[in-house]
Amino acid sequence: MTAEPLLSVRDLVVRFDTPQGEVHAVNGVSLDVGAGETVGLVGESGSGKSVTSLAVMGLLPAPAGRVASGQILFDGTDLIRVPERDLRKLRGKDISMVFQDPMSSLNPVITIGEQVTEILRAHEQIGKSDARQRAADLLRQVGFPNAEEQLVRFPHQFSGGMRQRVMIAMALALHPRLLIADEPTTALDVTIQAQVLELLVGLTRDLGTALLLISHDLGIMARVARRIAVMYAGFVMETAPTGELFAKPRHPYTVGLLNSVPAIDDRGKALRPIEGAPPDLEEPPVGCPFAPRCAWRVASCWTEMPPLLPVGGGTGDGPGLEHAAACHNPVTAEEVRGAAPLRPGFVPAPPPAAASTAASATSEAPA
Amino acid sequence: MKDGENARAGEHGERASDGSLLEVQDLSVHFPITQGVLFRKTIGTVRAVDGVTLDIRRGETVGLVGESGSGKTTIGRTIVRLYTPTSGRVVFEGTDLAALKRAAAKQVTARLQMVFQDPYSSLDPRMSVGKCIDEPLKVHRLGSKAERRARVEELLGTVGLPARMATRYPHELSGGQRQRVGLARALALRPSLVVADEAVSALDVSIQAQIINLLQRLQREFDLTYLFIAHDLAVVRHISDRIAVLYTGQVVESAPTDVLHDDPLHPYTIALLSAIPRPDPEIEARRTHIVLTGDPPSPAAPPPGCRFHTRCWLRQKLGNPERCETEVPALISVSPGHAVACHFTDEVRSSAERAAVRVAGPSAPA
Repeated sequence: MTAEPLLSVRDLVVRFDTPQGEVHAVNGVSLDVGAGETVGLVGESGSGKSVTSLAVMGLLPAPAGRVASGQILFDGTDLIRVPERDLRKLRGKDISMVFQDPMSSLNPVITIGEQVTEILRAHEQIGKSDARQRAADLLRQVGFPNAEEQLVRFPHQFSGGMRQRVMIAMALALHPRLLIADEPTTALDVTIQAQVLELLVGLTRDLGTALLLISHDLGIMARVARRIAVMYAGFVMETAPTGELFAKPRHPYTVGLLNSVPAIDDRGKALRPIEGAPPDLEEPPVGCPFAPRCAWRVASCWTEMPPLLPVGGGTGDGPGLEHAAACHNPVTAEEVRGAAPLRPGFVPAPPPAAASTAASATSEAPA
Repeated sequence: MKDGENARAGEHGERASDGSLLEVQDLSVHFPITQGVLFRKTIGTVRAVDGVTLDIRRGETVGLVGESGSGKTTIGRTIVRLYTPTSGRVVFEGTDLAALKRAAAKQVTARLQMVFQDPYSSLDPRMSVGKCIDEPLKVHRLGSKAERRARVEELLGTVGLPARMATRYPHELSGGQRQRVGLARALALRPSLVVADEAVSALDVSIQAQIINLLQRLQREFDLTYLFIAHDLAVVRHISDRIAVLYTGQVVESAPTDVLHDDPLHPYTIALLSAIPRPDPEIEARRTHIVLTGDPPSPAAPPPGCRFHTRCWLRQKLGNPERCETEVPALISVSPGHAVACHFTDEVRSSAERAAVRVAGPSAPA
């Protein structure tokens, strides 16, 4: 980035204290979002993508969740060190958020109008009737034709797509500089998803709002994001400009993810799922968390988490758009399609306990 | 158990191999909307399914796609006799399911199993995995305790779970493992038809791919026929031989999978194809999307005429012809196996929107 990024998460570590012990939800995540930029955060359940975004908002469920270390720099200020009172001024005004399920984010016993005006009146000196006028304008912006009539209705009278549009109206009411959208279209039908996505992208572009879009859906990422970070078990595994990530993924997990998605265009092509299941986050991470499921793993993967380092490539689109992966043995371009290591005789390194017995077998393989 | 198996083998042998396994004929399922507690009165009807005809041949996978309220789940549940049809028939292996008495029904429905979306709520949390898979065997009195235990172990192996899982409880399992248990349970009675209702929708991508591959392997191994119900057209396309697209309780288009994808003829199908985000930034960058306005209509008050007319992009382009509002389009066969319910298929054919969906289709070879 030429200038400071708008949001810069540095080595963020988040832990949850549970009766069963400590959960290692986020294990050193670094992430930049430039002003006006759309960045995608991809990952499966438990990868830490939502926890990362909640930490940015200062909304980790207290007292269980806490930021153990790291920095969250928003426009140069470390949000972790900002007192709650100042954070409240920031939330909604400078950073706002849209969640997956709009029904649980809206208050069921208060009219839509009151809920939209509430955010305006909380942050601005504005009279009741002016606020109502603004609220109606906002609803019109998100595609409600008869906005005044909608103001007196309750959330249950709206469909899922309409509720999510109300949430977007509220989130963008004060023209925030950063919008975090956590699976905003996951609960919606396909045609409604297309509506909401178009609205979200169009409005953030018009307002110059940066968008951190969290989703498990690689198709949505391909459509919307300029840059993508792939998370797994609380780590960022790979980050690259969107086109590059899809065309030349370097991390074995990214490759596995891409091969798991049934693309509508290549029917009959067998899916190559990633075998096994994500790790238990109650265990402190040792080595790379993906190692047990990885076909490319080498001995050091079991003991040492590789840092997120540039792997070459990236596009000339702008500064900060480099391609980085956290991997001891990145996938080569030739290996991507076959989804398997091509080096002759390569055998995934056995876990350390079994290493001594299997070592002789592996060393026999021709180099 | 042995006797039961032989009897079944005989039945399989009698049937023509390419015949219909399941025929859904003009099926309607309506639910009353009631008001009041003491004096309940019906104030309306939800027309969840309204005149659906489907034909599933032995060994094939038929995909049923639609959004919320399209009636896809109701169809699945009516087939496995969880709902009673309001009108129309469901004929399974030559038998009209609605006409069956209890005892006979038990025999028939054993070969008609369902896998649900959320294995967490479809498995009893207080029942161990082993017990849960054993339950259908017990109900149908298949074998002694020891035989059943061996069968449970075999079933666990079939779906890729270790035998020790039998003593675990659902809350100890991951989503993917739970769905495997749901499958093992469905397979316990050696069904011929499995209705999979959003069976992979709740799973993470990498796990979803595991279960899809498992479903396909099981189909080959056990000669299963699938009715695969889902909202995700990409997943449905991957697994299905034929696809029926539902909108507000009615089939708007049905075709062999490749035909539906390469030659879609209903404006709704085209909108669906256009709406699906594809995991390929190059395709996404060059294609335009048809964004439908508004929400799908409520099946409690379906619009007159063509039910899609309130959101149809083609109707808007054609200057809102009256016919769409007044006349219900019939599902008409346009080529073998391909049927469409639209008044303006010629206009669809020549539309730029359809061309755009088709051009965006095949991904450039990498």
